[in-house]
Amino acid sequence: MEAKKEEKLSKRSSFWVWVIASVIFRLILVYFHKNLNLSSRPEVSTPLTSIRRLAEGYWLKQSSMSPYAGSMYHGSPLLLSLLGPLTVQRIQGQPNHLLCSLLFVLADVVSAVLIRATGQKLQTSYSQSLKLLELDNLLRSSEILSSGDVASLVYLWNPFTIVACVGLSTSPIENLAIILSLYGACTRLPSLAAFGWVVATHLSLYPAILIVPLIFLLGYGLDAPPRKLFVQRRHGKGGDNPSSGSSCQQEELLNQSKPPLTFSWKPVMHFLFWASVWSVYVLALCSLSVKQKGGLWEMFERMNIILLALFGLYRSSKLNNMDKQVVLDAVPVFTYGFILTVEDLSPNMGVLWYFFAEVFDFFRNFFLIVFHMNILFMILPLAIRLNHRPCFLAFVYIMISSMLKSYPSVGDSALCLGLFGLFIFELADMQFSFFLFCGYVGVSLLSPVMHNLWIWRGTGNANFYYATAMAFACFQIVLMVQSTSAMLNHDRKLRKLSVTKP
Amino acid sequence: MAETETETETKSVNSRMRQRPIVRLGFLLISQSVIVSVICCTAGVLALLLLPVLAKNTYISENALMPGSASSMLSHQEILEANKLVRDIASLSSKPSGAAVESRGLIAQYMSDLGAEVNYHKFHLRSNQFHPLHFFSGPGSEAIQDNFSCSLYGVNTVGIVRAPHGDGKEAIVLVTPYDSVRGGVGEALSLGIAYSVFSLLTRVTWLAKDIIWLVADSQYGEYAPVTAWLRDYHTPVFGDLGSLNTEMCDENENIFKLKENSIPERNISYTFRRAGTMAAALVLKVAYRNEHFEDTLSIYAEASNGQMPNLDLINIVNYLGVHRQGLHVKVEKLWSLLESKWLRILGEILESLGKLAKSLNPDWKFGISAPDYVEGTATLASSLYYQALGVPTGPHGAFRDYQVDAITLEISPKYSFNNKDRRNDFLLQGGRLIEGVIRSVNNLLEKFHQSFFLYLLTSPGKFVSVGVYMIAFALLVAPLPLVAASLYAESNDLNPALRKDKKPINSDDLGGLLKSWKWLNSAKRVFVVHLWGAIVSLLPYFISHICDCTPTTNFLIWISLSVLILLILHQILGSSYSHVCEIQSQEGEWALLKSVTISSVFIGLSLMSVINFATAEIGALLIVPTSLLAYPLKLDIKTRSLRSFSRMICNLILGVISFPPATFFLLKGVLDGFEGINAGDFWNWVESLWAWNSATYLYIGMVHLPCWVLCVHILLHSC
Repeated sequence: MEAKKEEKLSKRSSFWVWVIASVIFRLILVYFHKNLNLSSRPEVSTPLTSIRRLAEGYWLKQSSMSPYAGSMYHGSPLLLSLLGPLTVQRIQGQPNHLLCSLLFVLADVVSAVLIRATGQKLQTSYSQSLKLLELDNLLRSSEILSSGDVASLVYLWNPFTIVACVGLSTSPIENLAIILSLYGACTRLPSLAAFGWVVATHLSLYPAILIVPLIFLLGYGLDAPPRKLFVQRRHGKGGDNPSSGSSCQQEELLNQSKPPLTFSWKPVMHFLFWASVWSVYVLALCSLSVKQKGGLWEMFERMNIILLALFGLYRSSKLNNMDKQVVLDAVPVFTYGFILTVEDLSPNMGVLWYFFAEVFDFFRNFFLIVFHMNILFMILPLAIRLNHRPCFLAFVYIMISSMLKSYPSVGDSALCLGLFGLFIFELADMQFSFFLFCGYVGVSLLSPVMHNLWIWRGTGNANFYYATAMAFACFQIVLMVQSTSAMLNHDRKLRKLSVTKP
Repeated sequence: MAETETETETKSVNSRMRQRPIVRLGFLLISQSVIVSVICCTAGVLALLLLPVLAKNTYISENALMPGSASSMLSHQEILEANKLVRDIASLSSKPSGAAVESRGLIAQYMSDLGAEVNYHKFHLRSNQFHPLHFFSGPGSEAIQDNFSCSLYGVNTVGIVRAPHGDGKEAIVLVTPYDSVRGGVGEALSLGIAYSVFSLLTRVTWLAKDIIWLVADSQYGEYAPVTAWLRDYHTPVFGDLGSLNTEMCDENENIFKLKENSIPERNISYTFRRAGTMAAALVLKVAYRNEHFEDTLSIYAEASNGQMPNLDLINIVNYLGVHRQGLHVKVEKLWSLLESKWLRILGEILESLGKLAKSLNPDWKFGISAPDYVEGTATLASSLYYQALGVPTGPHGAFRDYQVDAITLEISPKYSFNNKDRRNDFLLQGGRLIEGVIRSVNNLLEKFHQSFFLYLLTSPGKFVSVGVYMIAFALLVAPLPLVAASLYAESNDLNPALRKDKKPINSDDLGGLLKSWKWLNSAKRVFVVHLWGAIVSLLPYFISHICDCTPTTNFLIWISLSVLILLILHQILGSSYSHVCEIQSQEGEWALLKSVTISSVFIGLSLMSVINFATAEIGALLIVPTSLLAYPLKLDIKTRSLRSFSRMICNLILGVISFPPATFFLLKGVLDGFEGINAGDFWNWVESLWAWNSATYLYIGMVHLPCWVLCVHILLHSC
């Protein structure tokens, strides 16, 4: 017992040592920020996450203009008021964006801690449900290594995360919001989950689809083996020998503890209520920050515009110059519309820019709908198949959106890979792990080289760079498919074991 | 019931076995990886040797160029003028004092008399700085922060002719390096040729692009002045920032002032003058090489990191040189290869094969004669060598950093310079060549893009394009992923079989659980070694800053520090997560390590082939066999068969050869003889590589050396 405790202690301390080391490493890189010049890399800073654009937006706002004038800034007005002052403030003799960098480092560390807490929650619920299924022998392995530790260290030490943090893209903050919502749902705090979800959606729109796993998390509880197993188990137990004491205890344990086999509506209702409260609040803050005298009517107008933007690519189809004047301050159109219509075709890691640079103008709207539908189409089938594992479902959703979003950056992949660490025990038998690792390393090194060949040397062309973007997307697809199939295989294995077990 | 169940089970097993053909083909290749790798590597080497045979004749791809379609307008009038300039400069250089300033003034005077805009460009010599990631950032990104010394400076003279038909947005650059202190007759003649063309171009009506004539002050080397001028050309400074830089050392301003009084010129100024973007640049040099055949024209094209100018530029020069001026055009060759016997034998074999093929079917024409083959191979080898080195072969290299196509033309006359009658003919010949090239480029509507950027030359008129030479490389590296996959699969299949007897112990340990993640341990080791490689490649920078020692001691310090750091890293990082390591230090461990090593070799080589093909090719020739053959010596000694013995010998030889310093000394010994070899030579070579920001240096430090260390680690593995 003592030894175990000691081991646990040493493990915890080694975890914190690695966290501190990662912070120091980041600070060193922040100090050499100028030499690395990471913030100008297309992989790191997209039009939505670039700090330079944010600084420009802040400057416009300070000179009492709309920050969205001049088509430079497209992020959220809240981010503008949060980060804007930090971009201006300088400390003598220090690198320019030191304060911003410190904030991003802090965001990374907080995300890592939250991931760790989520991981611990997941692990306890996993071991609980395995105990219920009497598959204890599978458990011993997971005591050696905590998946939360692994996931948070993977997140912290992932080169993608480090690059996104040092390269001053705002994606650490977006990631923090997403992780916050997941954490809130895992700890069954509907208000926190709703806050994280609203902020994440407000910042980058795509996390909106996470509402499905969040509702599952709150309604069904944490990830568990398929519910059918528990039902079978319960019935089997009940039929076997109801008189024996041990099974009575079992029964009690089953009755009092999770997993709840029914959908509990109360937390979900709470979540929805809080979500609406937070979104009203965020919108009010937005209207305040963009226009000091914003009234209630305008806010409603804005909410209308959100709906329009979500439904019908409002800006591209309808907005003529007259309307533009009317809704010039309407923030959501300028952020969400920008995200949805893929206006900025400067190269990035994604697959959309090249496509929309090539496509004929009269097909543009059609393909925009096709590409965005691509994400929406996958929501329902995945939700049905994976409804017993809402956290994993959230991981798959994030993966899909990071692959198909209009301005992806390395920060999004970093979040995916960090969340991937949460499921190492379930995914232990995943195939092609080594192949994927090599692919990720190779492509992420090849991408800047191809960019250099195209932009600076002029001996390559856009196809070179786009090829690496496609290869990256392919590897992400393979990772997603393999991890999902590994998870389903894991469920099958559990079912087999619990059925064969007397 | 039970029967049907078993039937369905067998069916499902069958369907799993019956996979798609492409998957089966993949499995076949992976299972036969030894044979496949032997075949692929041999084919790769053979394909490399066959490249001179596969070379195609060059052709002018851009139709707008139309070289030689207009008759030359350069007349004896301009030649006489040029001759006068040459005489004046020669007479100046005989006077010892103040020759530099006066010759500068003289050239500027001549230029401005032609009606050109003239300005002086003062530059300060910058110390060579190590920018390891210079490759990834654009040029001029660190221009302002560089420090320079005030005492060393040079002054370029720049003349600009504005095109009557142009809009001033494009320009053609003509560079003549001229050392005003030690300049010889050759440099004066190159000035003469440039002047004759320049004077013609001030009067012609067809000019559509501005002409810039840069007389580069080459007292500190030919490359530095051109880079300095290009940097200032492309980074316009606004406001006080520029004046701050110049005012930092303005004690020399009086040099200009002094001259200003003496010469009443119209157009000479001291502000930086610009024309448009550069379409092409020609660097003109005249050298006397004492070759008694005919007037020759040497073309140098390799810029930094193996970048080449567009092939069309070389094509025009080659076409005009051969067909219009009757020059003997040549590119650099590796002379020591010309006499080698085995190459001649190979050439004869290929020639007879070609003849045989022709006798079978007259349409097959792939044979070339043996001497052609030897010459082609020598040229190809030198082309590969200079590209691999990553050091530009002349001032033209500076232009390539700004995406301007440029080459150096070195004209050497048949007769010596003292022959006065011949001099006019020579000037006319050179001038007409330059005029033709400029007129061709002047026709260009867009920047050069039509022809190849990635090619190797086998003679001035023959080239191997990227599509052909990539085959050799691809064949060479193709076995790497296959062998890595087969090793990985083997070690994964091996372990369950081993574990069958001790299942209860293993079911709860981490290794048993994370079966598919076992490679992480090997990956960590490979990562640590690559990290070491990165540190080792940073060391020379610090060593050269700290102590002023001889190259030999520097080299020794470097080696000892590297070994020390390797040991420290092994102690620190090799022992963390020891409980994971304990489980996995088993029989198959070296195989996994080898698999990960081979994967890293593959990734590194593929990356390098995009950055600098020649380095990747030469590196692949060394590291691919080494990494593929690596096998623990202990196991080889245990088996005691002929096969394992020969493998051991091969491993030992390859292990020695592919160690970078050993490779260097061996190559140097073979090429120059073994007598004069000094341990410091390697240091000097490495220093030149990093001073030129060559990607080859990074390749050696971060791919080749770590992989070599890992291969040696596998050889000495205690399994």
